[in-house]
Formats: sequence, structure tokens, C-alpha cells
Amino acid sequence: MTHDAITCKRLILEYLVDYEDGAMPEDVRRDLEWHLEHCPPCLVFLKEYRATGRTLRMLKPKDVPKNLAEAVWGFVISRCRKEE
Amino acid sequence: MAAHEDQNASDLELVRRIKRGDEQGFREMVDRYHARVYSLAYGVLRNSEDAEEATQDAFLTLYRKIGTFDDSKKFFSWFYRVALNAAYSRARRRKPITTVSLEDYVPRYRDDGQASPEFAAFVDGAEDEAIARDLAEHAAEFMDELPPPYRDAIWMVDVEEMKPADVADVLEISLAALKSRLHRARLFVRQRLLEVAAAPPAGGGERRVAP
Repeated sequence: MTHDAITCKRLILEYLVDYEDGAMPEDVRRDLEWHLEHCPPCLVFLKEYRATGRTLRMLKPKDVPKNLAEAVWGFVISRCRKEE
Repeated sequence: MAAHEDQNASDLELVRRIKRGDEQGFREMVDRYHARVYSLAYGVLRNSEDAEEATQDAFLTLYRKIGTFDDSKKFFSWFYRVALNAAYSRARRRKPITTVSLEDYVPRYRDDGQASPEFAAFVDGAEDEAIARDLAEHAAEFMDELPPPYRDAIWMVDVEEMKPADVADVLEISLAALKSRLHRARLFVRQRLLEVAAAPPAGGGERRVAP
């Protein structure tokens, strides 16, 4: 097997999303991991890709506004009762 | 029965109660979904007040239109679409945001498909709390530059940590199309974060951390 079994371009543009999702046939995964082991730029890219994911997970709002459920329920029920 | 199907069966029971005019059933639905709808709306609007109002709009639509929901479908997929529409309806009332061409952010390769020597290296800032927060603030801005179909995909999968298959269902696209959008969006955000990491911070000093 050589470094060219999967090119850097194909690894990054075609396979990476399935690799990270775990949705990849075993033989392709083996080729891809061989490539990653022997290709520092792609390994760096993989780390960046994962760091991007970790950064994005920080964007999830930590707190839901207090009493939002009550506010939503009150808003909807009062609007709909008025319309009846 | 898988937990997922269990959840849907339980959702459908609430749907039936709401269709019969059971206000308590609606209340339970609000308790179950308000945080998720708020978070989804926040991803579109990036503003707490707007996200709250979009959440109210989404539940109002749910209450009024529940009769049109087909019980043979997954409830959450339908309701997430309602919630996204409510959020985008509010977003359209605001100043339009200019989105970018994602093509400009796809990595470049040599003709033989191998990485070029100048292939960029960005830092793994997520290991340092302060740097990670700084990068996250930037990432939030970059999300706003994404075309909405890409932003929805990356928000639901990477921020909300929903399963790609579920997100594809919500967006009514194939799993392959969802993954393609997701990947393009990630490549864009990665490249923009790389630019931030490479630029000297405003106050001087180093932003770089060890990979």
C-alpha cells in the first residue's frame, strides 16, 4: 500500500466526514488510517477538524431563559382562547 | 423498542391529546421541547430575546396546526421544521446578512491530489480554556456568514449534537446531502478559525497554543 492509495484531497474532501461519523467500510478505514499515519499535513488537518467540532459544541446556549416554558404556554393558550 | 421509537411513541400520545384539545397535554409538550426549540432558534437568531419569541411562535404554530400533522411521521422532525421556519421568519424581519461562497474555503491541493507543502496548520486552541472561548466567540460570528442550509446542518449536528440521520429527516434531504453540507460548513469554519489563530491578537502577544 502506498501513500497514494487515498490522496490527501480525497481523504479530506470525500472521506473525512464519514470517517468521523464512523460510517466507513473497514477496508477504506484501514487505508485512510495508513495515510494519516504517514502524512503529517492530513493528520494536522484531522486535528483541526476535530478542534473545530469541539469549538462549535461550546456555542450551545448553556441556559434556557428562566420561566420560558410558563411564558410559552401562557402566550399560546391566551392567544388561542381569545380567538375562540 | 429503541429509545428513539419510544420517544416518538410518547410524542404521538401527546399529539393525540393536543388534537383532542387537552391543554395539559400541550403543557407537557412545552415542557418536553421548549429548551430544544429555544436552542435551535438561538442558532438562527443568535439573540436570546428573538429566540424566546421564535420559541413562542413555534409553539403557537404547533397548537394551531397540529391537526395537519400526519401521525405516521416522526413528530420531532415535523416540529423542528416548524421551529426553524419560526426562527427564519423572525430573522427575515432583521437586516439581511451577507453570506459567503463556501467554495472559497475548500482546501487546495496539488494536481496529483496530495497536500501542498504550504498546507496550513492551525492550532488546537480548544485545550486552553481562555483561547477556546475566544475561538468560540469567533466561530459564532462565522456561523452567521454561512448560507442557512449549511448553518442549519452544522448547528444541529455539531452544536446540538443531533444524529446526522435525524437532521437529514428534519431538513428533508438525503443523508448524503446532509453530510455534504455539514462537511462544507465545517471546512469553512475551520478555515476561518485558522485565519483567526494565525492573526496576531489585538492586544499583542501570542494566540498560538501547542497542537
